[in-house]
Amino acid sequence: MKSAAPASPVGHVSHDESALLDLLESLKQRHGFVPREVSDEVSRLVEVKLERLRRIQSQLDTTIRRDVQQHVAHWREEEGNLIMILHAIQNQHGYVPREVAMELSRELGVKLARIYEVITFYHYFKLQPPGAHTVTVCNGTACYLKGSGELLNELRSQLGIAEGQTTPDRQIHLDTVRCIGCCGMAPAIVVDGKTCGHVKSSEIAGHLAGLRAKKEAVA
Amino acid sequence: MKTLTRQELEDFAANPPANPPEWIRVQLDTGGIAAGAEAVHAALAHEREERKLLFSLQRAGSIGYSFADPVIEVQAPGMPRIHYGHVTPELVGQVIEDHLRDRRLIDDHVIATRQRAVTLDGPVTHLLVRDTGPETGSKTEFFQFSFTEELKRRGLAERVQVVRALDIGVYEEGAVIQLLPSGVTYANVLAPDVARIVAESIEGGRVIDDLLWKTPDRQVRIVLRNCGDVDPDSLDDYLRRASGYQGLRRALFESNPEQVIAELKASGLRGRGGAGFPTWMKWQLTRAQPAPQRYVICNGDEGDPGAFMDRSVLESDPHSVLEGMMIAAYAMGASKGYFYIRAEYPKAVERIERAIRQAREQGLLGKNILGSTFSFEAKVRLGAGAFVCGEETALIASIEGRRGSPSPRPPYPSVRGLWGMPTAINNVETLACVPAILTRGGAWFAGFGTETSKGTKVFAVTGKVRNAQLVEVPMGTTLREIIYEVCGGVLDGREIKAVQTGGPSGGVIPVQHLDTRVSYESLQQLGSIMGSGGMLVMDKTDSMVEVAKFYLKFCVDESCGKCAPCRIGGYQLLQILDRISRGRGSAGDLALIQRICQAMQRASLCGLGQTAPNPVLSTLRYFGEEYQAFIEGGPSYARKVSRGSASPAKAPERTGTTPPVNPTPSNR
Repeated sequence: MKSAAPASPVGHVSHDESALLDLLESLKQRHGFVPREVSDEVSRLVEVKLERLRRIQSQLDTTIRRDVQQHVAHWREEEGNLIMILHAIQNQHGYVPREVAMELSRELGVKLARIYEVITFYHYFKLQPPGAHTVTVCNGTACYLKGSGELLNELRSQLGIAEGQTTPDRQIHLDTVRCIGCCGMAPAIVVDGKTCGHVKSSEIAGHLAGLRAKKEAVA
Repeated sequence: MKTLTRQELEDFAANPPANPPEWIRVQLDTGGIAAGAEAVHAALAHEREERKLLFSLQRAGSIGYSFADPVIEVQAPGMPRIHYGHVTPELVGQVIEDHLRDRRLIDDHVIATRQRAVTLDGPVTHLLVRDTGPETGSKTEFFQFSFTEELKRRGLAERVQVVRALDIGVYEEGAVIQLLPSGVTYANVLAPDVARIVAESIEGGRVIDDLLWKTPDRQVRIVLRNCGDVDPDSLDDYLRRASGYQGLRRALFESNPEQVIAELKASGLRGRGGAGFPTWMKWQLTRAQPAPQRYVICNGDEGDPGAFMDRSVLESDPHSVLEGMMIAAYAMGASKGYFYIRAEYPKAVERIERAIRQAREQGLLGKNILGSTFSFEAKVRLGAGAFVCGEETALIASIEGRRGSPSPRPPYPSVRGLWGMPTAINNVETLACVPAILTRGGAWFAGFGTETSKGTKVFAVTGKVRNAQLVEVPMGTTLREIIYEVCGGVLDGREIKAVQTGGPSGGVIPVQHLDTRVSYESLQQLGSIMGSGGMLVMDKTDSMVEVAKFYLKFCVDESCGKCAPCRIGGYQLLQILDRISRGRGSAGDLALIQRICQAMQRASLCGLGQTAPNPVLSTLRYFGEEYQAFIEGGPSYARKVSRGSASPAKAPERTGTTPPVNPTPSNR
């Protein structure tokens, strides 16, 4: 970065914004102000850059729009389709992103507030992106009686987060679920979609280590 | 695609197909899959391929033995059908070599049949043995050894194999043995009886009357009739082997809608979702309402924690539920139906969607079904994790794509339901009963059960019970019979304290009422409800205050917030319970709890709020002394209970660490 910093004719300044910032900073230090010709050139560069970003953005928008249109087209004929469309969106993204919800509102002609009203009412719909891995503790009554509370405490302390949260590195998401219907295997946890039954709190560390190993293997 | 005709359906009924002589069925429901049933199925398929074997490998739903997942069922020629539990891919080779090739059963995996016989037919080939005494299993090997030696002595060891069973279906009755293939079962067998059994029963072919276990199986499988038998992914299997859609055929061609409703009336079937409203009346009311369009909804939003009957039925026998829905639609003149299923049950959703697709391809859904004038279309709608959506009006709002807030009744859905049209909402289990009633008659169904509650009920028995499983028993069976005779009693031989039925809307039933005969009314009298059929067993170590708090927390989390009694009352109640469970309650708290509970029961808008206080009220009614103990014992007692060093059932020791208390707190 330092290599871009030396005072130079504005002509071949890199488009890298940190280089631009360094340049402006060094000029300010040397002259106490940014010379007119330099600031003009920089703002031209920024304009170009913004235009490019807008183009990227609009392409993203069209992707989102196309996706949303597909979902809507599939359910267009059905009455009361909003929840089913939201299910499709959540299956695709793992949560309901705001841009998608906005696009859906335009596409269906339904107010955004009404869409959010539905999303926030149902536990199943998420507004935050999920972590790379998910650990879910079943909190059904059978699991509760057989010690799901201890499992949850162990997970909380090992991960340093509460249920419904994701670790700061966005790797592991901890959640609870009402009942997964595997009461015969209580207490149960679900690790990345795989149900593990008769779990003891001493086994938690092993499960987490397994997930972390998977993460490193991917990296 | 060729569609099914009425004639073909009649032929299926007249000529049931012959089963292949040799098959293995893997029970692939969510519980089984979670325990590794897919891997077992894959291993079996691989071995079959590898060794070029001819046995038929089939997929099925679950018979309900959740405690032994994954479960497979094996049929070898000339042998009875055998269930194996806790099967692993490593065991597959043994199943093929020992069982299919050598006709030998595998130790420690056999689940004995519940179809016990009282007469011996044919020579004994296998002898199952299991010690069910106080130290369960400790003498099993001894008896296996004794029987083997005795058989050797008499030169019968080649003919009869002695096998240790995983589960023998009789509990707390000492050493139990079962003779196969007949299923004659002896209980409380002692060492001197070994020679007698070998001499008289195995050699002589006579039943020994004083050892014979005569108690028949408590279970009657009507709803679960096909679960674990048919392939849930195959319409063909359902049609041919389970006399599928014969109930629909009878409804369409041998009766009119009024007669179908009359048949339901004769059966006495009441809603299995919990409230117990007569099903025929619901259909009649919906039918009587003039409207251009009527709907039928199957409520599969099984939100009670600890209940999995509906999931199991949808996963194991989806076509039965669909057939039930079609008969309901025909009876009330509906042309559209919705399955409302929890999104947390992906397997159930997948299988019911496949069932609908198959039915449509075969012309069982659509216009003029089987050439009749009846047209029907079914669709699936997913729940999204809201317990309150199990309530009728909230469920309708959710299908319409709105927040699942309940609305006041009347008008009832049978008058103004989905999109303002008359709608009948039936539980999964209710609909699964319907085809059986139509094929076998309402009177047959009414032959089971009690005066007011007819038929059978499926319970998911979980918690501190030895064998967590699905149980289907006639109404009127006692709780003790369900827990001790069918499910093997309490885990680790501990003492039972209470049974919770009905989930968060139900209550606890203490041990002194265990001999209550199960019916809608009897459970209500005890302050609980039938509910959808979750049955939770609690032992002496479980704190009732904590249990009440757990259920209440559930209801508070799930309250939609529309009406004040539920929203505010529930929250305040939870605060008080929390205070009490930390040992910081005061003497007036119990009276306050009563008042809040009454307000919630009377003034809440829907069933969720009206029933949310039930767990609190019933624990208070039967285990008031536990609340007292927390209030009197103070924080130090509460800490002891949470650490497990004090029993929640006993009042605290009045030592110097706890302040002296007045025995009657109302005087304080």
